[in-house]
Amino acid sequence: MKARKVKELEPEGALGANAGRIAAVRLEELRSFAPRALDPAEVEALHDMRIAAKRLRYVLEITEPALGPSARQGAKTAKRLQDLLGEIHDCDVMLPRVRAHTGRLRAEDAEWVRHAAGSRAKDLAPSAARGAPNRARYRGLEALSVYLSARRAVLFERFLREWEALESGGFAARLMEGLNPDPHRPASDIGGSGLSPSQPGPAAPAGGEGP
Amino acid sequence: MAKARQIPGLGPDTRFADAAAAAVEVRSAEVFEHSAGVLDSDDIERVHAMRVSTRRLRAALEVFAVCFERKEHRRVLREVKALADALGERRDPDVALEALAGVAAELTRADRSGIASLAAELREEQKRGNAHLEQALARTRESHLEERLAALARAARSAEAEAGAARAPATQAGAAP
Repeated sequence: MKARKVKELEPEGALGANAGRIAAVRLEELRSFAPRALDPAEVEALHDMRIAAKRLRYVLEITEPALGPSARQGAKTAKRLQDLLGEIHDCDVMLPRVRAHTGRLRAEDAEWVRHAAGSRAKDLAPSAARGAPNRARYRGLEALSVYLSARRAVLFERFLREWEALESGGFAARLMEGLNPDPHRPASDIGGSGLSPSQPGPAAPAGGEGP
Repeated sequence: MAKARQIPGLGPDTRFADAAAAAVEVRSAEVFEHSAGVLDSDDIERVHAMRVSTRRLRAALEVFAVCFERKEHRRVLREVKALADALGERRDPDVALEALAGVAAELTRADRSGIASLAAELREEQKRGNAHLEQALARTRESHLEERLAALARAARSAEAEAGAARAPATQAGAAP
């Protein structure tokens, strides 16, 4: 997932102003994945949202001395979200892997049983499967698949609750207000869009806006 | 996993290009400090620490992209990404093996042989990942990545970089995860 471009960055400008612009774009980017990522089947959107949370976290961590306590709090929130989405991602990676491994064992066993029957066999008795070398392994792998599927569902429900709490608590608007060093200046001036819980950022185009 | 070191001297009014130089210097030092013993697959925390440091360095390079000489920045970023990929290739089976051990300990004895067969497959992947990481570390040494990162940071502070940055479009380039 390409990161969105941040416009109007000035190498000769102040860290605070530049960092605010970058954080605002990264925050909107994170929120833009929410509509799709709230569907448990949207594995890619969840993955992209995790990457967006990581990018927001790192920009806030690195620029915290310029952006202050809000950045520290924002980085912690982004890290919590990144970690949770990471746990879901681990299940999404491991599940197909367990299934592929089980498939390979099955194919090996079928080949072994077929071979044991001899090249001129007319049919095969069910008892032939008793000798399959991987027979004892399926049970554990099935249990692992069941565990991973169930854990994924539990973690995803937790993600929905936590995301809803962040949105209803106005985390984006609070973060942008906190990053703005000038109380007389609207947060939108530093690149934010005056984000509110009912006003999610625009959806990310496929592949992001990066080059 | 060690916490990221504070970057000294940063404040809201710090010149962006000076912050860029300081961030790359600190994050680069962290990466190379963590490279000792990283190929030891009995101590999986070392590869984890180096991977996280590499991610932080990459983030610094991306956040401050506009402050660096464009061509060299692109080359250095590509090399840091390659190193991060090699660290990930080693780290992913480490994490999976640790998770499997935790699951196996909680299941019944009869369930364990299946999980052990998957673990054996992951250990092979870990070995391959270690071999690739060894190559990636060698390439990093041969290309003098550490010294080039230091030079990139120095240039961001200099007047020459200021002129170069002024010619470059003022946007933070997008980057792959």
